[in-house]
Amino acid sequence: MYRIGIDVGGTFTDVTLLNSETGAYYTYKLSSTLHDQSEAIANGTKETLALYGVPVEQLEYFGHGTTVATNMIIERKGAKTALITTKGFRDLLEIGRQTRPSLYDIMEDKPETLVRRALRCEVDERTMADGTILRKVNRDEVLRVLSQLKGKGVESLAVCFLFSFLNPENERIVEQCIKETWPEVYCSVSSTILPEFREFERLSTTVINSYLGPRMKMYIHNLQDRIRQVGVRVEPYITQSNGGVMSISSTIQTPVQTALSGPSAGVMGAIYIAKAAGFQDIITYDMGGTSTDVSLVKGGIAEYTTKRKVCGLPSGVPMIDVHAVGAGGGSIAHIDNAGALKVGPESAGANPGPVAYNLGNEQPVVTDANLVLGRINPHYVLGGRLKIDAQLSRAAMKKQIADPMGLSVEAAAQGVISVVNSNMARAIRVITVEKGHNPSDFTLVAYGGAGPLHAVHLAQEMGIRTVLIPPAPGALCALGLLTADIKKSYVKTALIPYDQATPEQINQAVLPLMEEGSRWLASENVPEQRRQFHNVAEMRYVGQNYELQVEIPAGLVDQADLDRMKEDFFRAHEMNYGYYNPNAPVQFVNFRSEAIGQVQKPRLAELTEHMETPSGAVIDHRDVYFEESGLVRCPVYDRSKFGRCPRVDGPCIVEQMDSTTVIPPNTWFEVDIHGNLIVNAFGDGKGGDEA
Amino acid sequence: MKIDGILLEVIGNTFMSIAEEMGAVLVKSAYSTNIKERKDCSCALFDAEGHTIAQAEHIPMHLGSLLGLIGEIKKNFTPDQIHPGDMFIANDPYNGGGTHLPDIAVASPVFYEGKVVAYVANIAHHNDVGGRVPGSNAADSDSIYAEGIRIPPVKIFQKGELVEDILNLILLNCRVNHIRRGDLNAQFACNRKGVQRVEDVCTRYGTATVTACMEELLDYSERKIRMALAEIPNGVHTFSDYLDSDGVGSGPIKLSVTVEIKDQDIALDFTDNPDQVKGAINLPLSALRAAVYYGVRSIVDPSLPANGGYYRAIQIKTRPGCILGCTEPAACAGRSDTAQRVADMVFGAMSQVVPHKVMAGSNSSITGVYFGGVDPKTYEYYVYMETFGGGSGARFNKDGLSCVQVHMTNTSNLPIESMEIEFPYMVEQYTLVPDSGGPGKFRGGLSMRKDIRVLGHDSQFTIKADRQKTPPWGLFGGKPGLPGVITIYPGTEEEAVIDSKKSGTTLKANGVLRCQMPGAGGYGDPMERDRALIVHDLEEGYITPESALRDYGLTEDELEQIDVFGKA
Repeated sequence: MYRIGIDVGGTFTDVTLLNSETGAYYTYKLSSTLHDQSEAIANGTKETLALYGVPVEQLEYFGHGTTVATNMIIERKGAKTALITTKGFRDLLEIGRQTRPSLYDIMEDKPETLVRRALRCEVDERTMADGTILRKVNRDEVLRVLSQLKGKGVESLAVCFLFSFLNPENERIVEQCIKETWPEVYCSVSSTILPEFREFERLSTTVINSYLGPRMKMYIHNLQDRIRQVGVRVEPYITQSNGGVMSISSTIQTPVQTALSGPSAGVMGAIYIAKAAGFQDIITYDMGGTSTDVSLVKGGIAEYTTKRKVCGLPSGVPMIDVHAVGAGGGSIAHIDNAGALKVGPESAGANPGPVAYNLGNEQPVVTDANLVLGRINPHYVLGGRLKIDAQLSRAAMKKQIADPMGLSVEAAAQGVISVVNSNMARAIRVITVEKGHNPSDFTLVAYGGAGPLHAVHLAQEMGIRTVLIPPAPGALCALGLLTADIKKSYVKTALIPYDQATPEQINQAVLPLMEEGSRWLASENVPEQRRQFHNVAEMRYVGQNYELQVEIPAGLVDQADLDRMKEDFFRAHEMNYGYYNPNAPVQFVNFRSEAIGQVQKPRLAELTEHMETPSGAVIDHRDVYFEESGLVRCPVYDRSKFGRCPRVDGPCIVEQMDSTTVIPPNTWFEVDIHGNLIVNAFGDGKGGDEA
Repeated sequence: MKIDGILLEVIGNTFMSIAEEMGAVLVKSAYSTNIKERKDCSCALFDAEGHTIAQAEHIPMHLGSLLGLIGEIKKNFTPDQIHPGDMFIANDPYNGGGTHLPDIAVASPVFYEGKVVAYVANIAHHNDVGGRVPGSNAADSDSIYAEGIRIPPVKIFQKGELVEDILNLILLNCRVNHIRRGDLNAQFACNRKGVQRVEDVCTRYGTATVTACMEELLDYSERKIRMALAEIPNGVHTFSDYLDSDGVGSGPIKLSVTVEIKDQDIALDFTDNPDQVKGAINLPLSALRAAVYYGVRSIVDPSLPANGGYYRAIQIKTRPGCILGCTEPAACAGRSDTAQRVADMVFGAMSQVVPHKVMAGSNSSITGVYFGGVDPKTYEYYVYMETFGGGSGARFNKDGLSCVQVHMTNTSNLPIESMEIEFPYMVEQYTLVPDSGGPGKFRGGLSMRKDIRVLGHDSQFTIKADRQKTPPWGLFGGKPGLPGVITIYPGTEEEAVIDSKKSGTTLKANGVLRCQMPGAGGYGDPMERDRALIVHDLEEGYITPESALRDYGLTEDELEQIDVFGKA
């Protein structure tokens, strides 16, 4: 049987086909069809199956990553949405946190709200800070509001009241009214979408969900039809921002969960590959054409956050904490008016692309710098699909950078790489050192088209010893789709002082979340033996407003567990903030339970051939410039010709269809059993076989 | 040593990342909501002379709070009295480089190979540093001695050891001092992180390169501003504006600035301003400098790097004893509104020469309310502080922003649910104020109104606000926005308007305080406003039908056709 994963990006749609028995996988790429993403999906499915001679009946799984939700928000093409909220708080959505987006640039605007003011309705109700209801919702008033909205062409509703996370009763009454009198309208209620405190973030998340709902539903039904037409019989699963997947019906209920799902599949792919190679603590480094995404994985589990924004709008659902940097292979290098070499944030993208493409761009980009240095094949990229002219890169680098700075062309190109790497290093510091981790304790997993070009130098910059380059760096997202678990997170806010907390209280908070999760997993057809729960408490010192996550042990919590949680909180505080105070009062804030339906993980294919030396993989030699050695003649290897190999010395270049790996002088790599390149960035230590 | 444009960018990036990392440590580990949620804090890296090399500020006001600090330390301690592991603490505007007492700064020298190569410092706004009112921020104090504990630069750490005597002395002078302790701990942790990272950079590149790079960063920034200034025609421009009052009886107070642009320099002259006043609205020199640097950077080139190099192209002239650049013992806790007015005036003066790079007058009051009382549930004394945004001025091609903090601050509001859980209060409404944005071809941003009800006990509040008498001005035919107004017990027989700088007002149990902020001025003649924008404003309720008729020349017939907000 086979599993297929289809990841739709802005330029390309990537398809990965995996043989569940052998673990072998195949990749295919075609242009995205942005007017209707499902077109490329259907064609990609058909063409890939045909190419590898796999009958469509052999498909047992269909995974799909989509940017439909993200694009809908960027382009403001979601549904006409109305809001029902507490009297006096219609404008909360617009006031937000009352901050301006830029300290010094007075021309920058706040993001426009997803619900216009005329469609933000108030009802006279109020729940208090202790959860008691001061004013109960009046059904007649709600019905009046609904009938007014019906006349205005509204397609979806968001309901959010103050303190509904403590007591959802008033929201429930409104929900009931909607069900009775307007069942066809799409509706999200804040106490269901995100029963967590801090009203603006809860409101914003609920509104995003409603804004996305109706169009997401249409998209998914259309997708279902399309893939049925090409004969696919299984129901698709959709990638979520938390790195998991969900059925289509769950996705229709909570599309906000997909709003930043783009980079999450890649992280899951990286975790999967790295785990198989024996690495649990990794930094994922996905460098593409216009931006770079980095994230931190500890013990095989990605770091999560609830503080991310979608195009400036807060979304409080848990997501993989992916940090984006506005720099990639297409970032433009220029000398600013006062003499500093800047790289990005402007990008030449794929069109016109690097100067070498000869499509009209005359400003050198990062890719041109790599060409000048001989790091990228100077004749063609993408396995020959794209002809390029490295001489153009050279001329542009000379004219725009080298001559004005009085440097050689190579030194200028190296400068571009150093600057872009320092931007990346700053981003990686954000996700490691600021959270109390030491980068040198991690393995860098590099992917995306440009990641393997920069990874080893970047690792050296950060003091990272080991770099892992997966077999198909350009297709890691699609692979991630095939290995992601079914996942949904449930949250309950309960502010409990630690000193007064009993094990029963913790269990009372967590068990209902697990029951809810169980019901959901059942609805996703996950058999009981494949269900798993990961429970955490979010704790803080009284008076703080940032919480730290502490693991809740599986099963019923007892007093010993409770004691341990406090110790864990102290440890986490020390790790994150450099100190802890054993005497200050601590409180519980949120309880989260992640319901996980484990997907059968395919075994990765193993290389059968074993090479003592890499000479059989050499396809060429060329001059490559390195800062540490100047121009050196290097062997160029064809990645597909490698078997397992204990040691390949740098400097050298490894080429493959979708990427190029640079191995600098005084470093070396091993090709492991799954075909990963395991690079030793400091040239010391032992290879995987000997370790 | 020559630093090229590559090393400049690479090491410059590293310095910024150090300041950012310090900021993250401070924000995350602080105790008080003011630092954690509102990010009322800032971190910076200085060279050995005390020039700012990189600053991660969340608030432009803090550009000033750290300006004089290193200089004051060097004035008070000889080089042989400064050791690795030392940490200095200070807050005094006249002897510690600060801008008002609640901003407590902590600075650490960074030693490498036995020499000071740099300083790292951070500043945080503490909710209370003692003095006559909770919050230590009254606008109606008449001398700095009433405003709280004054700390000249003293060592809080000596060779890595906490000087507990000093800490105890400070804490005893503050209300709610366990929170002060938590916040100070966070400030210490922040500096330790900074010191360690600067040491790492020295190990990597060598001190000679690091020092040369610091110098080149300053030069780079200076070159950048001078190039931008060269694009602006030479000329002299004057602008005036008013403060409501000094809080203790006199006002309105007229302020003015004369800006001269000459080739690649800009000079701002404030000598022609009133003498310092009795109330607490005097602006210490470091805060005046911060307001000027903010204004010039925003207008001339917002992309200027956050270091002290560009300050060199800006000359500031004032005189001792002037309200702008005050001297001891002038009270200055409420200096922020004065700084806001200076920033507004820089925009006003520059509008005459670069009309496309400015905005009209903004809410420009860092309105703060400080409540103090005993929580009826816990019987514990609390201090609760809130700051409010308002309208931001219209620009040459678009409307102003609504409900934001402008100029010298950018602190976020406290989540309502967070506030109601922590303090015995309830928010009854939080809304935009229609018509508060000045009419214009482009409309000023709207202000907000917040009604806060005190629950189950009498509390006392102190208010610090401005722009309640002189509205935010429009530009080029744009009309002024609405001024702000603070009311107690609205809609009852006891309803009364409160002076903008009043401390110690009692709010009786279950009474309401209504804070309505100023809006902002419009830009261009309102009669030239695009019809579609007027219709949109009416549909959304940003303006009322009355304003459409009066300010924008709409006819009753036209109005009939529009689906006005709230029309049944």
